[in-house]
Amino acid sequence: MNRAEITEKLKDILQSASDDAETAEKCKDETKLQTELGLSSVDMLYMVIAIEETFDIRFDDVTVTSFETFGDVVTYIENKLK
Amino acid sequence: MENVFTTDREKFRPYNSPEEFDRIVYYNSVGEMWENCVKEYAQRTAIEDDGKKYTYEQLEEQASFLRPRFGEGKRVALLCPNSYDFVKAYLAIVTSGSTAVILPPQLPPEAVFGCCMKLGANMLAYHPALSEKLATVKAAAPQFPLVDITEAAAKKKDTVLSKPTDPCVVMFTGGTTGRSKGALLNHRAVIEGTVNGCYGVGHVFGQRYMLILPLSHVFGLIRNLMTCLYTGSAMFICRSNKDMFRDIATFRPTIMVMVPALAEMALTLSRKFGRNMLGDDLKYIICGAAAVSPYLIEEYPKMGISLLAGYGLTESANLVSGNPNSVGKPESVGIPYPNQQLRIVNGELWLKGDNMMDGYVGDEAENAAAYEDGWFKTGDLVKIDGDGYLYITGRSKEIIVLANGENVSPAEVEARFNTPAFIADTQVFEDVLPNGTHILALEAVPRATELKGIEGDVKEYITKELEKINATLPPYQRVSRIEIRDTDFERTPSMKIVRYHKCK
Repeated sequence: MNRAEITEKLKDILQSASDDAETAEKCKDETKLQTELGLSSVDMLYMVIAIEETFDIRFDDVTVTSFETFGDVVTYIENKLK
Repeated sequence: MENVFTTDREKFRPYNSPEEFDRIVYYNSVGEMWENCVKEYAQRTAIEDDGKKYTYEQLEEQASFLRPRFGEGKRVALLCPNSYDFVKAYLAIVTSGSTAVILPPQLPPEAVFGCCMKLGANMLAYHPALSEKLATVKAAAPQFPLVDITEAAAKKKDTVLSKPTDPCVVMFTGGTTGRSKGALLNHRAVIEGTVNGCYGVGHVFGQRYMLILPLSHVFGLIRNLMTCLYTGSAMFICRSNKDMFRDIATFRPTIMVMVPALAEMALTLSRKFGRNMLGDDLKYIICGAAAVSPYLIEEYPKMGISLLAGYGLTESANLVSGNPNSVGKPESVGIPYPNQQLRIVNGELWLKGDNMMDGYVGDEAENAAAYEDGWFKTGDLVKIDGDGYLYITGRSKEIIVLANGENVSPAEVEARFNTPAFIADTQVFEDVLPNGTHILALEAVPRATELKGIEGDVKEYITKELEKINATLPPYQRVSRIEIRDTDFERTPSMKIVRYHKCK
């Protein structure tokens, strides 16, 4: 799976947890998860669980709050899938 | 007295299975309750954690070898993450005639000793996983007794049967004013809270619980752990919330105690992946610690799960009311539990009862503010309907209760953002986005004189600096939006900020 495909799937995950129809459009590599997308700690947990289900990967025991931007998450998934 | 409400426990009878209702009895102390549990459920699994199962008998055997380490009549601070070891140590302390002061495991190391002193602890019982947090204790008081809870004594000691009025636990709370303090609950209060957890739940004995809440919170300690043990149920300890759904698939819980934000997340995930992520065995979600949306109460029964909402406080040993008829009255937090008196004064709920705390430990000013004529003033605005169902209509004062149940005191967070010299003042508040999402937001007023010489976009510079501070806060206190104002806040005659109330 290439970076563009991962990006689209991650946008889909974040959109599914949001009532804001424009969430997916706002997701750029540099978009900040907490301050720009407004993700709470529970939203971050949702994201991690949904990513694990979707991509069939396991997150390491890092705290979910260690991701700052949307691009950080895409890169993490990309490395996990290698 | 006018306007005093009480509830007879018979009001809950129609909602419990007939054979179970009469098994709901009261004990004089946690020790007496625990002795009975061990006798009645000896060979049943009590706790499942980290790949191991412990029966009631095994848990008692191991707790009995810890009891001598705590003595009697002591106040023992317990610093331990959610684990079997926590359960064992907590039980050993409160059934040895001592009092457990439950410290949140995420407490910053520099705060551990201060909390022990403020809450009058004589010793600190700790799990080795958190031993790096003991440095300040060792430096400040080298003689202060430290007990590693994984090291048993040479001899065992039997349960001590405390009196109902003897102190049992001290729990951390932001309370109605937001300043951290310790609520002292006696044995009667803890037993009341434990028993209250049984009312209105059709089948509550011999269940399978999964623990995802912190045991340092009353909802986790009393409604989840204590009611689980009282009913001879088994509790699986989920070590990491991100593994929750994998753990559910293995353990197959029948009851889960959770905050609304997590219940909502589980619903969204179930929809996204087209299957019930909570497992087909789950029958009840006990939901509280924050406002429960009627939407959740209506949606969960479609998956065969009853979502039962309730209302409680740390000061009331968690449970004040529970809703056995959530679907019929989805806006209500339920019927007040028995052995309490409720009074509504100018809309605010005042409480007396067997479940109420004995007061905040060593905090006369807070106690003076919290009580009036012996009534505890909750700070919550309520109404009661003709059927005796309670409704929360608002939260008085400034506390922000987030969807995940965390209480945020704006003043506490603002103090952190106010530290740079170039910040004149800040306001932290709850806002609601056009899509309905509730967030914690920050507005800051810069101090222009301190910003001379900053090159480039000043607002961008300030935002970046505030983001750095934001990153150092505990996750639940972090703000999701930062705005830099061009003007000061609106102020009261005494120059206090006129607070936003965007979500009331």
